[in-house]
Amino acid sequence: MKLLRLILTATGIFFLNISYLIADEAKMAKGLEIFNETAVCAACHVLKAAGSEGNVGPNLDTVAVTTESVTDIVTNGLGVMPAFGEDEILTKEEIEAVVYFVVNSAGK
Amino acid sequence: MKKSKNTPNLNRRNFLAGTASVAGLAATASVVPITFANANHTDGSKGLPDFINWKNRDALIVHSDKGIETHRSAIGEGLITPNANVYIRNNMPTMSDAQIGDRNNWKVSFEGVNNPKSFTLAELKAMGTTTIATVLQCSGNGRGFFEHGPSGSQWQTGAAACVFWTGIPVKTLVDACGGISSGANFMTSAGVDHEPTGLAPKDAMVERSVPKKVYEDALLAWDMNGVPLPNSHGGPLRMITPGYFGINNVKHLGKVAFTADESQVKFMKSSYRISPIGKKGSEYPTCWEMPVKSWITRPTDETGTVKAGKVQIVGVAFGGTRKVKSVKVSVDGGNKWQKAKFIGPDLGKFAWRQFVLETTLSAGTYNIASLASNGKDKQPELRMENRRGYAHNGWKDHSVNITVV
Repeated sequence: MKLLRLILTATGIFFLNISYLIADEAKMAKGLEIFNETAVCAACHVLKAAGSEGNVGPNLDTVAVTTESVTDIVTNGLGVMPAFGEDEILTKEEIEAVVYFVVNSAGK
Repeated sequence: MKKSKNTPNLNRRNFLAGTASVAGLAATASVVPITFANANHTDGSKGLPDFINWKNRDALIVHSDKGIETHRSAIGEGLITPNANVYIRNNMPTMSDAQIGDRNNWKVSFEGVNNPKSFTLAELKAMGTTTIATVLQCSGNGRGFFEHGPSGSQWQTGAAACVFWTGIPVKTLVDACGGISSGANFMTSAGVDHEPTGLAPKDAMVERSVPKKVYEDALLAWDMNGVPLPNSHGGPLRMITPGYFGINNVKHLGKVAFTADESQVKFMKSSYRISPIGKKGSEYPTCWEMPVKSWITRPTDETGTVKAGKVQIVGVAFGGTRKVKSVKVSVDGGNKWQKAKFIGPDLGKFAWRQFVLETTLSAGTYNIASLASNGKDKQPELRMENRRGYAHNGWKDHSVNITVV
């Protein structure tokens, strides 16, 4: 009985992790698509993970990025950068995905 | 994870002008077209971006390839900041030599005057010349002290420099154009560094309006500390608005216009507005006159412990648009203040002054602060809280903690 419970628990954890990984991968892919296609962040920023070489805004591989700071800047804009959230260029979900992608790929 | 690296589809950029390609956009501009891959942002030697790899890396804090700060201690003992130590803050990519072309043929137009004209740099040099010293300071200098964490480079003291500019007074050019047209309230200066990017001028053009009266002190500069104005600092020609924050000192200058209204571009209308935390809008004041400010440059926590005994406490102070009149220094966090002595030459009301307080310190820890006055205003103790972290001149945040052994 104990063994069965252990197996079931381990299996549960395994599938839970897999589902998280799938979620992460899906979120990263969506973030990449928004970065390069929907919002075209790529035109203005360097980010090796996206293959981008834009030179208007800061190089995202060398600047300190946090979920909080990137969310603020993408939502409200800064300087020439559009306010993607405030001006409703991106949805909240899209902002969350692109921020996730940038924070998890910058400098890598 | 397998990533499909999509090619940026520039046609879909909703903030680009609606032309088919970046190259096509740039071709309509007055400068040589480039692609977005023009990589003056890449790491050069010493961890500096290529376009400023001639700078003194040891003197600088690299926040990003567009925001590079001078260490507090690297303001140094000289009154003038060496070019290699001067901070970098770029809203647009620095223009390359290829984009600028023959510097002597660089053109600037004058509008809102009785006889609108365009001048080449060579013509300007033949019309008049003078040299002034001014403090150049980013509006966000001190942002790093704000506790609400405003976005942008986290400058502490080093987005500032004192620089000799050589060029021609704007007043000379206004006279050459038959005077300012009636109805003008502002001097509006525009850069052309947005043109190679292909971005829409309303979003990307650095065009700044300042009150018309500023033209009486303003200069079009082509030299910086005795050398041709580096591209990274706005060469070959930059508007210098003494006493006004850095953003008004427009780089890569292409146009000066005397206008009835403020510019409507983003950099004037919505950026650089000093608004309460959580609010934004063009109804709030823009970053114009710099307030009186000072800070200690030696000793600092960057330079290690201090030997007990006689100590020279050194710093810089400036009064914004008024001459700095006095500086007091405290070694106990602002409980007691002693008058500091100005040293070195007085380079005019728009330059900073060096000051020193000689004192004797025994072993222990000290909080050293400086408090400057321009005769009208003095530094407040605390920062003026605002959304973007602009115009910080509170003395408390700018103090330094040192250890004496």
